[in-house]
Amino acid sequence: MGMAGGDEKLLVVRDLHKHFPTAAEPVEVLRGVSFALDAGEALAITGPSGSGKSTLLHLIGSLDRPTGGTIEIAGRDPFQLPEPELAWFRNRTIGFVFQHSYLLPQYTVLENVLVPSLAFPDRGRDGQSARAHAEELLARVGLGHRLHHRPAELSGGERQRAAVARALLNRPRLLLCDEPTGSLDRKAAAAVAALLFELHEAERTVLIAVTHSLELAAHFPRRCELAEGRCTELSAA
Amino acid sequence: MHRALRSLTFFWRPSLAVALGAAVASTVLSGALLTGDSVRGSLRDLTLDRLGGIDLALVSERFFREELARDLVRRRAAAAAAPAIVLRGTAIHGGTRARAAGVALYGVDGRFAELFGAGLPALEGGSGGLFPPLIVNEALRRELGAEPGDDVLLSFARPGEIPRETLLGEKEADDVLAARRFTLVQVLPDRGLGRFGLAPHQAQPLNAFVPLAQLQAAAERAGRVNALFAVPPRGAGSVDLRGAVRLEDLGLRLVRSGAHLSLESAELFLPAAAAAASAAVARGLGAASSRVFTYLATRMQANGRRLPYSMVSGLSALPELKDGEILLNRWAADDLRVRPGDAVEMRYLVMAPGGGFRERAARFRLRGVLEMAGRGADRSLTPSFPGIENARDMAAWEPPFAVDYGAIRPQDERYWDAYGAAPKAFVSLPAAQRLWGTRFGNLTAVRFEGGDPARIEAALRRELPRRAALEAFGLSFRPVKREGLAAASGSTDFAGLFLAFSFFLILAAVLLVGLLFSLAVERRAGELGLLLAVGYPVRTVRRQLLAEGGLLTALGALAGLAGAAGYAWLMMAGLRSWWLPAVGTAHLSLHVELSTLLAGWCAAVFAVLLAVAWTVRRLAKLPPAALLAGSTAAAARQRPGRLARRLAAGTAAAALALLLCAALSAEASSPALFFGAGACLLAAGLAFSALWFHRPRPWRRAGLAAMAARNVAAHPGRSLLAIALVASACFVLVTVAANRRSAGGDVREGAGGFPLFAESAVPLVQDPGRAAGRLALGLSEADEAALRGVSILAFRAVPGDDVSCLNLYRPGRPRLLGVPAELARRGGFRFGRTLTKTENPWRLLAADLGPGVIPALADANSATWILKLAVGQDLAIVDESGRPVRLRLMGLLERSLFQSELLVSEANLLRHFPSQAGRSFFLIDAPPEKAAGVAKALEEGLGRFGFDVSATAARLSSYHAVEDTYLSTFQALGGFGLLLGTLGLGVALLRNLLERRGELAALRAFGFRRRRLAFMVVAENGFLVLLGVGVGTLAGLLAVAPHLAAAGGPFPWPSLLATLLAVVAAGFVSCAAAVWSTLAAPLLPVLKEEG
Repeated sequence: MGMAGGDEKLLVVRDLHKHFPTAAEPVEVLRGVSFALDAGEALAITGPSGSGKSTLLHLIGSLDRPTGGTIEIAGRDPFQLPEPELAWFRNRTIGFVFQHSYLLPQYTVLENVLVPSLAFPDRGRDGQSARAHAEELLARVGLGHRLHHRPAELSGGERQRAAVARALLNRPRLLLCDEPTGSLDRKAAAAVAALLFELHEAERTVLIAVTHSLELAAHFPRRCELAEGRCTELSAA
Repeated sequence: MHRALRSLTFFWRPSLAVALGAAVASTVLSGALLTGDSVRGSLRDLTLDRLGGIDLALVSERFFREELARDLVRRRAAAAAAPAIVLRGTAIHGGTRARAAGVALYGVDGRFAELFGAGLPALEGGSGGLFPPLIVNEALRRELGAEPGDDVLLSFARPGEIPRETLLGEKEADDVLAARRFTLVQVLPDRGLGRFGLAPHQAQPLNAFVPLAQLQAAAERAGRVNALFAVPPRGAGSVDLRGAVRLEDLGLRLVRSGAHLSLESAELFLPAAAAAASAAVARGLGAASSRVFTYLATRMQANGRRLPYSMVSGLSALPELKDGEILLNRWAADDLRVRPGDAVEMRYLVMAPGGGFRERAARFRLRGVLEMAGRGADRSLTPSFPGIENARDMAAWEPPFAVDYGAIRPQDERYWDAYGAAPKAFVSLPAAQRLWGTRFGNLTAVRFEGGDPARIEAALRRELPRRAALEAFGLSFRPVKREGLAAASGSTDFAGLFLAFSFFLILAAVLLVGLLFSLAVERRAGELGLLLAVGYPVRTVRRQLLAEGGLLTALGALAGLAGAAGYAWLMMAGLRSWWLPAVGTAHLSLHVELSTLLAGWCAAVFAVLLAVAWTVRRLAKLPPAALLAGSTAAAARQRPGRLARRLAAGTAAAALALLLCAALSAEASSPALFFGAGACLLAAGLAFSALWFHRPRPWRRAGLAAMAARNVAAHPGRSLLAIALVASACFVLVTVAANRRSAGGDVREGAGGFPLFAESAVPLVQDPGRAAGRLALGLSEADEAALRGVSILAFRAVPGDDVSCLNLYRPGRPRLLGVPAELARRGGFRFGRTLTKTENPWRLLAADLGPGVIPALADANSATWILKLAVGQDLAIVDESGRPVRLRLMGLLERSLFQSELLVSEANLLRHFPSQAGRSFFLIDAPPEKAAGVAKALEEGLGRFGFDVSATAARLSSYHAVEDTYLSTFQALGGFGLLLGTLGLGVALLRNLLERRGELAALRAFGFRRRRLAFMVVAENGFLVLLGVGVGTLAGLLAVAPHLAAAGGPFPWPSLLATLLAVVAAGFVSCAAAVWSTLAAPLLPVLKEEG
């Protein structure tokens, strides 16, 4: 996939490399991945297991550092930021939805959605507006009646919807989903996928999803296949 | 904090485990501190118990008026005061002849008992038997095997006024010793009065109480006492003696003779302080004073004529006399037929160093003759000489030296009849002082002339006790309670000691908490990953984890404080029973102080939080992606660096090199080289283990053992940590075990080759090391035969506090021994560091260090651990006159017999403590086959003096027993720590198993039976325990090889093996428990969860 875009792009990935050291020899997972996305665009990343899909997503989400290449989000290289600023940047700019919901079992659904707002109590919104937004998001994902339930009391699909609401709490410009429907049955998967796109449309976020599911990938206008560390953009289905 | 609480309550099981771990750490740490509190508190209790209501004590060598006590109370200088006679002596059972030396003998009345809130009616009334009543404490009763109604002979030194080591001092055993028979009427329990004693020592004294009047009679000191026990008035810290003290309390008297008034001392020698003060008083009244020193010349001769036994006075009132000039009275000049200008030789006796007399001669030129009037026939110039002054004639003299009665002529008797002891010759005062001066003084009187004698006398009686430095006369109260309570802070910091003993226990508990917390947090790796992913700064996540850890630690440590009291109680129980030799008293009880609990809590929280912080720091370093994936491994496993390989090779080479050095060096068994080699071997063993863990293992052999080996290597860091913990603990346990010693090879060196030592309750003026001395002491010919070929070195001693590890109290005034010149010449004993390098460190005691500084030697253990004194440092003490003196430590004796005292030269001891007469400590060198006979002969021959002979090996063993007991304590607590450490291994294993439970479930799904899997896992961890024990033990044994090879005490194999086996067993049991809890889980849920 060639390098695309210019300064106005929301996400620019340039010649991204990542290798992991092992006892034997380093394993090169990414070997020069480049692409760019405008605001409101959506991209599905597919590929066989071990092809580096999740690694790529983690690098874009600044959860891990690349071995080479750069990533720009809204014109900024997050890896140039000191750790607290990087955290703030991630908190404000990026939302994550993982295969497992990672809802904190000790908190209620509402509290789980509010978790991102608590990362910077001095810099973020006030508690009232965050709570109102969280309740609105939960209503939008169909969990308005489950605000005070514990995660253990939800179904898998409900948990994942709560995770989506959590990802959108701080109105991120980039929504990164790692196998968001991977642990769900077909019906629940379809519901979550629909929800993601609905919110993506509504919020004009850049949506990137790593998935094995061709069904989910088919929803995306752009799709790239990762193989042997390189990314190839496939024409939309 | 709210979120932390929510998390903790939600994950309550792992939280509880962490809190329990923190509780264990807090229990041990605070418990160790409470042990210190308890020892200090118990010593305080003992101090208060043994002193009752007594705050102040005055115990003097001099006797003073019993009425002084009443005067003090009457003048409101004291709230209460009890007079007493305090002596040391020997008790002998009248029937069985059982003997107890070192008995504290107290002559007391009801006032003394009142200070203890008790009465001693048995002393007030009669005994109902033949003899006066006697009360003893239970310890003395046990020693004698006596029962009420039995007769007990008490023998003690008769208080003598004239110093025994002077010409006129009493020396004969019959004069020196007094013995009285008493009937035992009451036995006091070993507490309160029964424990009474002034020395800060936890050992139970042997106390005997008799009626004050009876002891006064026995000591021939009617109406006089040598001790006062007092309570100061409310609000006052001490008792002001001034105003109540009279001239006679200072041992002074005023003698009127015509127009003269003389100030004399009951002890013959007038203290310089009294002379100066009295002269000042007289000057104020316009009277002149002159100083007098009268002595006895055994013979004066001139022109071939001899004049026996004449008093000679040195007078300051004869300034015209030059040093070599003499005046004779007319009678003497005529008798000798001399004229001015003639030479006169004078012979006189002085004390020889061994206790006998030596005759010396001095030559004078006759300057003039005094007529037989005034000064020429003045009896008052001669003070009261016992055995002489009251004699009807010279033939009836009974002085304490041999008189050649044959030399006394009729004209001498006539002179005696006419002039009594009036001096026949006069020399200058400096000449007299040079010839006859002693360490006890060099004046016999101060004479006052001019003015009104009655007025001068009244002024002196009034002013002298006020102006004189009472301390110089032994009249000063010691704040014994305050000193005792201060000393109760202890010579040994038991809190620190038990903290050190409990080190492994605390370390194991802290590591356990670290492991538990790590385990708890790692199970929430996804949560941490999520928080980081949604933009929580690392710092915030760390803080939250630390808050959780802190809260758990705080709560756990708080709960552990209850256990701390239990732990300290257990330590106290141990010290009262198993470890009794270390403390020597069973009177130890639990004391809990809130401030200590708080300090223990803080320390425990701090230590545990360090472990928590380390875990948090490690986890927070992980990338969020890894945490989200549930991985808590730091990074992909890498090959060990060059450093690890170099470390392994380097330490192994160093171990070999040190061993080679040890083999080639002259000292083939150099402990330091072997210890270094052992330590290197330990490091090498750990480094090689690390390399082994990192070695790639191709799949060559299938089977559970191979799988186990691969699994061990799967987490090399954890495995190495486990081995390091176990190996280090084993290394320390083995090396500590080797340092335990019973009486062994170092006994001869520790005692300087002397197989016996002795102590005498009554100091011996004559030297039992010399035949003449033994004869004077009354040893029989049979005893003398038994002592043939035996050498005895006699030491003077200044009583003081025991500075050895046998005394738990912090010593204030150390006991001093004056080293005789013979020992300095002989050498011997093993020395450690000395201030200057010398072949014979004993000679350092003779070094001149300037005024007020005395060179001293001490045992290394006592100096280091009790006195906290290093070579070259000074210890400030106060000498007999109350002057500050510094004892400079010139060298250290290694594991010697002299652990209870500081050693100074005899000359220095006498210079600063001149009134210490006689010798009371003895080193006896006898062939081994004669040792028992020598001990018997000396104890029988000198038993009256409370002469007690012991084997030096026994004394050294008692010192070593303290060390051994401490080492046992360390071993026991270290063993517990190791056990806790192996439990930690169990937790680590549980953590591994939880990580691997999917793997294990899969293996079970493939058909592996639980038992086989359990074997595999137990084998993995058992291997780690065995490897740790093996590496640590082998390295430890190498380190202590010289001890094993030496012919010292037996190596404590049984206890060491038991500890190591218990560790191995605990390791296997904790493994098995962890394995069981994991493998017992149902198969499918695990597989589902993992899938």
